[in-house]
Amino acid sequence: MTSVSIRSRTSSLRFKICCSAKKETVDKVCNIVKEQLALPDGTAITAESKFAELGADSLDTVEIVMGLEEAFGITVDETSAQDIATVQDAANLIEKLVLEKAS
Amino acid sequence: MAAAAAAPTRAEALSLFRSLLRTAKQFSDYNIREYTRRRAADAFRENRALADAPAAAAAFAEGKKQLEVAKRQAVVYSLYAPKSKSVMELKVQ
Repeated sequence: MTSVSIRSRTSSLRFKICCSAKKETVDKVCNIVKEQLALPDGTAITAESKFAELGADSLDTVEIVMGLEEAFGITVDETSAQDIATVQDAANLIEKLVLEKAS
Repeated sequence: MAAAAAAPTRAEALSLFRSLLRTAKQFSDYNIREYTRRRAADAFRENRALADAPAAAAAFAEGKKQLEVAKRQAVVYSLYAPKSKSVMELKVQ
C-alpha cells in the first residue's frame, strides 16, 4: 500500500508539459533578472513576465543571458539568445541546455 | 584609408557586446573582469542613440579594436594569474 503513495507522486509530475521548466529554475531566473535590472523589491516577476515590460532593453537582455550562463554553467548560442523574450523562455532554454550538458 | 563601413546592424552590435562580455569572463582577476564588463556596458549604453551612420560605424570599429585588446590581455593575464582571490569574491560567511 505504501508504494501507491510513491506512484501518485510520479503521476503528478506527468501532468507537466515536458518542455516547461521546473519552478526552482524559474525562481532562480527571476532573481537574476531582478538583480540585473535593479528592480525594487516589490516588483512582481512571474514566468510570463517579458523582459521588455520589466524595462530591459536589448543590452540588458544580453547581460541577463550572460548572468544566466554563469549561474547555470551553460553556454547559450547567439540564435537561441535572440529568441528569449520572457522568463519562461529563458528557464526552458536553461533546462534544455543543462540536460544536454549532463547527457 | 579603409572604405567607409556601413553602420552595424542591431545583431552585429549585440554580438560585439556579447563577445566583449565573454572575453571579460576569461579574466581570473576580479578587478579586470568587472572593469571590462562595466566599461563595455557603459560604452554601449552611452552610444545606443547614435543616429548617423558614420558615428555608429566609428563606435563599432572602436569596440572591435577594444575586443582585440581584451582578448590579448586575457591571454597575457592568464600567464600571470594571481594565486589568491580578491576579497570581493569570497563568499559571505
